[in-house]
Amino acid sequence: MSQRLDKQTLSNGLVVLGEPMEGVASVAFGLMIPAGAARFPEGCCGVSGIIADWIFRGAGSRDSRQLGDALDGLGLHRHGSTGTLYLTLGAAMESGSLAEALDLYTDVICTPTLADDQFELARQLAVEDVKALDDDPRHKVMIKLREQFYPDPLGRSTLGNISELESLTPEQTRSLIHERFDLSQGIFSVAGRYDFDLLCRQVERSFGASGKGRTEETGLGSAGERYTHIPTEGAQVHIGLVTPTITPEDPEFYDMRVAVSILSGGMSSRLFTEVREKRGLCYAVNAGYHGLKQAAGIQCYAGTTPDKAQETVDVIVEQFRLLREGVTEDELARAKVGLKSVLIMQSESSSSRASSIGNDYYMYGRVRPLDEIKEKIDAVTTDSVAAFLAHSPFDDFTAVTVGPTPIKLSDRAPIF
Amino acid sequence: MEFQQEKLENGLQIIGEVNPAAKSAAVGFFVKTGSRDETSAVSGVSHFLEHMLFKGTDRRTALEVNAAFDDTGAQFNAFTSEENTVYYASVLPEYLDEVTLLWSDLMRPALRDDDFDMEKNVIKEEIAMYKDMPSFDVMDRCRTLFFGEHPCGNSVLGTAQSIDDLSSAQMREYLARRYAPNNIVVAFAGHFDWERMVSLTQDRCRQWDPHDLARETSHFGGRVDHARLGQAGLAREHLCLMSEGVSYQDPQHYAAMLLSSIVGDSAGSRYFWELVDKAVAEAASMSLDGMDGTGSMVSYVRCSPERATEVLDVLESIFETLARAGVTEEELRMAKNKTLSALVIKNELPMGRLIDLGFNWTYLQEYRQVEKDVTEIKSVTVEDVNKMIERLKPGVFTRYQIGPD
Repeated sequence: MSQRLDKQTLSNGLVVLGEPMEGVASVAFGLMIPAGAARFPEGCCGVSGIIADWIFRGAGSRDSRQLGDALDGLGLHRHGSTGTLYLTLGAAMESGSLAEALDLYTDVICTPTLADDQFELARQLAVEDVKALDDDPRHKVMIKLREQFYPDPLGRSTLGNISELESLTPEQTRSLIHERFDLSQGIFSVAGRYDFDLLCRQVERSFGASGKGRTEETGLGSAGERYTHIPTEGAQVHIGLVTPTITPEDPEFYDMRVAVSILSGGMSSRLFTEVREKRGLCYAVNAGYHGLKQAAGIQCYAGTTPDKAQETVDVIVEQFRLLREGVTEDELARAKVGLKSVLIMQSESSSSRASSIGNDYYMYGRVRPLDEIKEKIDAVTTDSVAAFLAHSPFDDFTAVTVGPTPIKLSDRAPIF
Repeated sequence: MEFQQEKLENGLQIIGEVNPAAKSAAVGFFVKTGSRDETSAVSGVSHFLEHMLFKGTDRRTALEVNAAFDDTGAQFNAFTSEENTVYYASVLPEYLDEVTLLWSDLMRPALRDDDFDMEKNVIKEEIAMYKDMPSFDVMDRCRTLFFGEHPCGNSVLGTAQSIDDLSSAQMREYLARRYAPNNIVVAFAGHFDWERMVSLTQDRCRQWDPHDLARETSHFGGRVDHARLGQAGLAREHLCLMSEGVSYQDPQHYAAMLLSSIVGDSAGSRYFWELVDKAVAEAASMSLDGMDGTGSMVSYVRCSPERATEVLDVLESIFETLARAGVTEEELRMAKNKTLSALVIKNELPMGRLIDLGFNWTYLQEYRQVEKDVTEIKSVTVEDVNKMIERLKPGVFTRYQIGPD
């Protein structure tokens, strides 16, 4: 597979990455700004979400409406995400609009208006989004699960909490933006159809002066409760479970990925087979890897009516634990073809490539070529999976449930 | 891009758009059936049957089917709507044969009783899951209120009771009729060999028996009504509005689609500036649901229960202004640009392309290049959109609300 990576580091340290794609008319970019939820001081949980809204409410010479119209006029598909460590702003578009789109984003990032009245509106929406979680128990249970599982501040909800959102002031938030929008610590990525030299010149003009060149490490606090139940009057018990595992830089990363895929990759995976196909306990049951640089876990969600909740949890936990008894060659082969297919199919989308190369750079300090990932997947064997699970079994769980009845989470124990 | 088509003697239609530059390929079986084709005695059967297809054939068990899909690394699934049941997979080109054969076989499922009974539990869990999602539930209830006795108001999921009452014999009868070859389009997109796919599909599907089929597709403008459901434990007010729309086949389809974008796109629309930007509501959107012969405009708004009245006032004023002054050139230009870039980006992926390809054939019996859609969208004028406002009267709607007790 031919694959080219463009890379340039600007004078202030901002890294610009690009992956050209043949046969597409679109381009997507993303700018990762080190302003994710975990990077803010105590007491302002949720501020990154307010910031992501507020900076679009007027920037440069445009007011909120003019800016929105200018972005829409280019037909941009805006995507922003407030993550644990980064606030990512980006968009996908027809390639001819890239330069104009970047000019607008330069205003948003470097010279947002940040008017007080607009702050109030952004804050109000952020508060309401937190309240709306009560009507979305599937989402809520996973947010609460991360809060309990990860050592603080890595588990912070990116939506925030109401009392802290309400206590924020525009002055305080402005100074947090000023401090955190340090693009010397940022990553800019682009994929699709673009001219890299032109792009780099523009990015240098836009963001090359930003930065204080400062690096800091966030100290980690403790994790939360092992089991939390949030009572509601809903129809189902929404179950979130997570077990710790290795981080992306670990040499056994792909052994772990294959193990998770055997557990919950396709419809032949163990969780789907045992929980849904054989027992009819759930409609939705799935597990997936969630990895940060500092800590990682395998998160599982299942939703089921109250009288089946305990059996569901018991079957899921048993399946996690049973993995270390060994995996079959058939399971291994399916996991490998599944992981490789997803990799190649995602490489057809400019948005997904732009975000992958940016994340890779943060995680590994480089972009992993797709061929290298494929080779590493191919190198996994049933023995290497067994060896990994022997010293890192999936048997220590943190759980959260949202629903009419609680469950019992058994202690870590041998399964025989 | 090269388009191909073939019709078998039994009526099965096969179409494909070959893109040799793609890295993957997608296949879909588009069965023209859904809840609008059900009687109340079999409410939910279309969706339940979609689940049962995965349970295998006389020669394959459910677990073997799951393993066979996963052997190909396919990204695959199925969905059921009021009028379509679509089975699809996207794969690396070397696995396309295998998934196509697999889907072909599965179209004639065994419907074993033990699988049937076990799957009822899963369907009932799915129904329970959606009960816990008021943003979904409100749309479902509003649809029933808007369509009244019209079959487009039939629930896709059915109820726990209707699922309990359903027999496998009823499902077999439905299958024999609705999954007749003359009611199915098989579509391919991306990197594949057309001749090979035709011969492979033909080989598996030519013995299927055709069936006479009918569907009532006259236009229905909808009812005007309102209702509210109070539910303990809810935190927000969820509103759904439905008003008259245009069908998928309507020549003015794009004018209606652009109207819905101007009024209710998630960003930059009138809903956005009047409701979301001002924090009156935290979410507000409108879209066109163009169906077979009829259609509707569907809006969803979520807000604090205390502000529901204010939201309704703002909505009234939005529709009043719209009816009085129409839309502007600038709004239309922005809506076009957003719609066009979404279209181009979606169609760059074989999976995205497959869905448009299959539906265009199902509804229009027509192959449309992306370029043709682009030209048509560009040619819509302010006058076209304003005429659409007069014709559809989006301010006259059925409203359903779900919120706290």
